[in-house]
Amino acid sequence: MELEHAIRLTEILLGVAFAQQSIEHFKSAANERILFIPRLLLALLIIIGFQTAWVTLLLLLLGLAILQRFQGPYNGGCDRMSLLILCCLCLTHFAPTRYWQEVAFGYLALQLILSYFISGWVKVVNPDWRNGRALCDVFKFSAYPVSESLRGLSESPQLLRYFAWGVIGFELLFPFSLLSTPALWVALVIAACFHFANACLFGLNRFFWIWITAYPSILWFQQRVGAMS
Amino acid sequence: MLNILKLLLPALFPSWRFFDVIAPSPRIQFTLLSSEDESPSEWLEFRPRPAHLPFPQMLRRMSWNPRWNESLFMVSCAERLLVNPTQHSEDEIMNRIMAELMRNSSSSVATSTTHLQFRLLLIERQESQIEQEVVFYSRLQPLPAQGEAWS
Repeated sequence: MELEHAIRLTEILLGVAFAQQSIEHFKSAANERILFIPRLLLALLIIIGFQTAWVTLLLLLLGLAILQRFQGPYNGGCDRMSLLILCCLCLTHFAPTRYWQEVAFGYLALQLILSYFISGWVKVVNPDWRNGRALCDVFKFSAYPVSESLRGLSESPQLLRYFAWGVIGFELLFPFSLLSTPALWVALVIAACFHFANACLFGLNRFFWIWITAYPSILWFQQRVGAMS
Repeated sequence: MLNILKLLLPALFPSWRFFDVIAPSPRIQFTLLSSEDESPSEWLEFRPRPAHLPFPQMLRRMSWNPRWNESLFMVSCAERLLVNPTQHSEDEIMNRIMAELMRNSSSSVATSTTHLQFRLLLIERQESQIEQEVVFYSRLQPLPAQGEAWS
């Protein structure tokens, strides 16, 4: 994937993710709507490709205003990934040379890899994750399960132990998918399914949309690194 | 400016330590009082989750999930209140409970209700037991008279 194509695809996916997030705030208090109505308009502009460099910059400034309004992220890691993508896109647009464009966009790809690998690492070093107890606790008493019936899964520790190791294994092995393009595609499909499951079970729908927004960067990165070696 | 930078830095250099430990989990409960001096007798869980959520509804929530995302933000505010209490976090929770009550005012708020208070219940595992403890009480918030705007 060419750098320009990857950037454009990232912009379109980001626009879709931001439009979805913004519409969810339309029934909020007036001081929230005033931030998210402009965000929806900017998201639509970036989808159609209008002045994308300046629109990205405006989206970043608006993102900072939203960060200030909520005194931190509204939606945890999802908002952090949103800001990271915006910063990398901005740097890509305003970088003086192609080299620095590639560095900025490559940084996004690197962070995407780390988002999986570090998540796997912090779990594998925790005995509660290795024996399945941590995932039992997620279902038993955390704030995330979307229904009481899902809490019943905590009564199946053996099953959750398999799930826990499946997640840990996938997250730790994710960087190795960079070794070939087909392997990377397979890994990204599995990762998207993982986010989809999290969206269904824990209501983390925004994570699904924003994480797949970063996928074009890693598809470009893998080919770029392959071309160098 | 310094505050913005402090908030932005974790996005530029994320830690990505998702679910590294399963921390104690806060629940928000609220009570409605008829006077400032009344002792709370009943605490209600704010937005209790449904008994069951059908798969088609989970699919719909992929694109439209505002209430759940707001609830997760309120959990974040509750966690912030426990670690680093600020007026902002307390106000965010209080205002959103009030807005919810206003939306459902006909069914849930008696005409004699004058004040609102919330508390945070912390749920955690101690060895093999699940334990809960009340760890925070909010201020008493006077409610607007019936018919006035509550937001």
